[in-house]
Amino acid sequence: MRTIVVVGLAVLNAAIALLLSPLLEGLMRKLKATIHSRIGPPVTQPYLDLLKLLGKEDLRTGRGFLYAAAPALTLGSVLVLATLVPMGAAPPLSFAGDIIVVLYVAAMSAVLVMLTGFGSASPYASVGSSREMMTLLTVEPVMAVALVVGAVKAGTLSTAGILAWQVEHGPSISMVIAGVAFLLALQAQAGKLPFDIPEADQEIMGGSLIEQSGPRLALFRWAMWAKQLVLAFLLVELFVPWPRVGILPFDLMLALVKVSLVLVVVALVDVVNPRLRIDQAMGYYLRVAFSSLAALAFAVIGM
Amino acid sequence: MAKGNGDAERVEEVLGERLGRGIIAVGRPQPDTLLVTIEPGTVLAATQALLDDLGARFLVSVGTDRRPISGDFAVTHLFSLDQSHLYVVLECPVASENPEIDSITPLIPGAAWSEREIRDVVGVSTRGHPDPRRLLLPDDWPEGVYPLRRDFPYNERPPAAEGTRPAWVPTPEGASVVTLGPFFPVLEEPSNWRLFVEGETVVGCDYRGFYNHRGVEKLGDSVMTYNEIPYLAERICGICGFIHSTCYCQAVERAAGIEVPRRARYIRTMMLELERIHSHLLWLGIAGHILGFDTVLMQTWRIREPVMWLAEVITGNRKSYGMNTIGGVRRDVTEVTKARILEVLGPVEKESLAVRDAVVGDTTLHMRTKNVGILENAWARQVCVVGPPARGSGVRIDARIDHPYAAYDEVVPRLCAHDEGDIWARVLVRIEELLDSIRLVREAAAGLPDGPIVAEITEEIPSGRIGVSTVEAPRGEAVHYVLTGGDNRPWRWRVRAPTYPNLQAMPAMAAGGNIADIPITLGSLDPCFSCTERMETVDVRSRNVRVYSPAELLAMSRRSGRPGGGS
Repeated sequence: MRTIVVVGLAVLNAAIALLLSPLLEGLMRKLKATIHSRIGPPVTQPYLDLLKLLGKEDLRTGRGFLYAAAPALTLGSVLVLATLVPMGAAPPLSFAGDIIVVLYVAAMSAVLVMLTGFGSASPYASVGSSREMMTLLTVEPVMAVALVVGAVKAGTLSTAGILAWQVEHGPSISMVIAGVAFLLALQAQAGKLPFDIPEADQEIMGGSLIEQSGPRLALFRWAMWAKQLVLAFLLVELFVPWPRVGILPFDLMLALVKVSLVLVVVALVDVVNPRLRIDQAMGYYLRVAFSSLAALAFAVIGM
Repeated sequence: MAKGNGDAERVEEVLGERLGRGIIAVGRPQPDTLLVTIEPGTVLAATQALLDDLGARFLVSVGTDRRPISGDFAVTHLFSLDQSHLYVVLECPVASENPEIDSITPLIPGAAWSEREIRDVVGVSTRGHPDPRRLLLPDDWPEGVYPLRRDFPYNERPPAAEGTRPAWVPTPEGASVVTLGPFFPVLEEPSNWRLFVEGETVVGCDYRGFYNHRGVEKLGDSVMTYNEIPYLAERICGICGFIHSTCYCQAVERAAGIEVPRRARYIRTMMLELERIHSHLLWLGIAGHILGFDTVLMQTWRIREPVMWLAEVITGNRKSYGMNTIGGVRRDVTEVTKARILEVLGPVEKESLAVRDAVVGDTTLHMRTKNVGILENAWARQVCVVGPPARGSGVRIDARIDHPYAAYDEVVPRLCAHDEGDIWARVLVRIEELLDSIRLVREAAAGLPDGPIVAEITEEIPSGRIGVSTVEAPRGEAVHYVLTGGDNRPWRWRVRAPTYPNLQAMPAMAAGGNIADIPITLGSLDPCFSCTERMETVDVRSRNVRVYSPAELLAMSRRSGRPGGGS
């Protein structure tokens, strides 16, 4: 019986990540268009983009198994991530060292994109990949510190445990600071301005993914959109899980509303900012990481 | 018109002292133009005197084939004495047997391209030029064929040559190459930058451009007539076309001594400033886009659009107005249109102010533009940079003030300058100019005098006269030089767009910067490649051994899209 529930929840989470992420991306585009005084594409445009790209010819500039499999692996890693994240219920897959696994799986997609860039024999892709690496190196610590704050508070490394502790104990200073730090990290994880530096269309023409097209590009795009949705879920479920009634459809709808709000904030930040240079972005995230250590200190003294 | 008066005598005196018998003749084609013909051997001494003793600023060099008239070539260096409102035209006759002259580039780095171009198109080579590579001929253009010589027909297509492609500057030790172009997303026109980078730091760069030559100057002196050229001139640029047609008309008017009616001058002023308004708004948007700030792009272009509609109301076209003609303008501005202009400018000003406040207060923009792409004042002067890049580096020049034309003697512009020399300074200069231009259009509309809009020209334009004209385009000062010919067309028409000197400053601005800063650094020059590349007949051929005809290329493009579809 328990296995069925776990499988059901895992399928549900993966389906949400796959099927809803283009819609949310479409909503973000629409919001940006409104602020630009444009009409913008219909909210379903990302679905159409995916369909169109999936139907195109598969062209490759690199060789080898990893290069060939990278798009599928990238999307796959994001779907695995989705099953490790609570979406209206406890995360379907759970281990003793949950948040460490979450951090690793979250980094996997970025590493795969980076390797694809290095493997595609384009100087722009190489520059993009090295920027991706620098972003990863500075953004991961911020996410790690934020999650560790939760672990310290709840006294467990399990995502479900942190969630349960949060629901029981209500807001605290340390978790608020950690949540803000996580939100700031989300901006770079989602590849949105001012941190879309690894892609930087106007500088390096899409960076790591410059040589990707057709179905490969579709899978990479899909993975990016799904990842921003899943991480937004992680943010709202771990740091603002209230109110929680314990009925899955209700909790899920509420979480979705909160996720949409988070992504609206991400889109708003994106639309009112120019792009930073990689060194400036790294400096910024180092400062965020150090500030989030304050949250850790608060957590240790029980606030 | 400004009077050159006393200062012209001083120039004569100084040159007389320095050159002695090196001076062949001195003339005053216009009160503010001094024409000095010198022995070619004294060109370096003359240039040195103009720079050191008189503080002259180099504009451009012109190579002319005068063999059918006087049996020789001429290399003409144009200078401006901005404080004295005076042009100095240094004309050096060059014997046709061994066409060679001393290069002035060692004295004036900004003359490098002009002199390379003279070698390319009329075949007068320069001794001692530090970089004598080809500049603007196509890669497969044969050696020894000079397209601007009079015996070269405008429709001639020389056979493709091999091995004539200019070499790139060698890559420095330890650096790798990142190319920007010939086609790059944020540069709307072809331009090929070869960046030498260590990590993400740019240590140098080389440029190859002139992919867009349309043979404009050749058409002007072989096919078209005086009164047809304004329409060609305004097609030099898709943004500042009116500037080029005005500049050309003024050069001919000055050469022929035609007095343009006041009303026409005011109308020209209004159109020139409207062009500056929409051009600066366009630039602000592009600069935002380069930095990924598309909200600025979308908003400034929305604000700009009513100005384009206004141009359509006034001239019948949103671009390429067809307004200018020798002696004045072709359409009058009625009272109704005048009211419409003021009506449109109100919201444009209000929204431009809002954009200014948003941009000036954006700290992320500061991070990307302050202390980035720095152009030192001294180097800006040496490369003879013009327009907002010059004024952003504290070089206080503005053709509207230095050589007042149109109605700028009565509708006086404000000189907007900053001393920092970085991209931010260029942003500020352009925003201030944008707002000042709105004021100028209003003043010109308010002060529009009555009278005719075009001078009646009854006599043939005499041959052998020269006219130099400068117009302050949004990108900087445009220079047109006309030497009149006998068959109702110029003997030589030289166009120097502002981007021509400004691009030459790019290597210095790029060095030491980050790859990420290159697009905005280049963008901060507001480069206009089509303006710069107005020369030469082009053949549409690949530089490989295989030669494709346009029909073949078309067929290939129709077949392409499937593997194995293209040949």
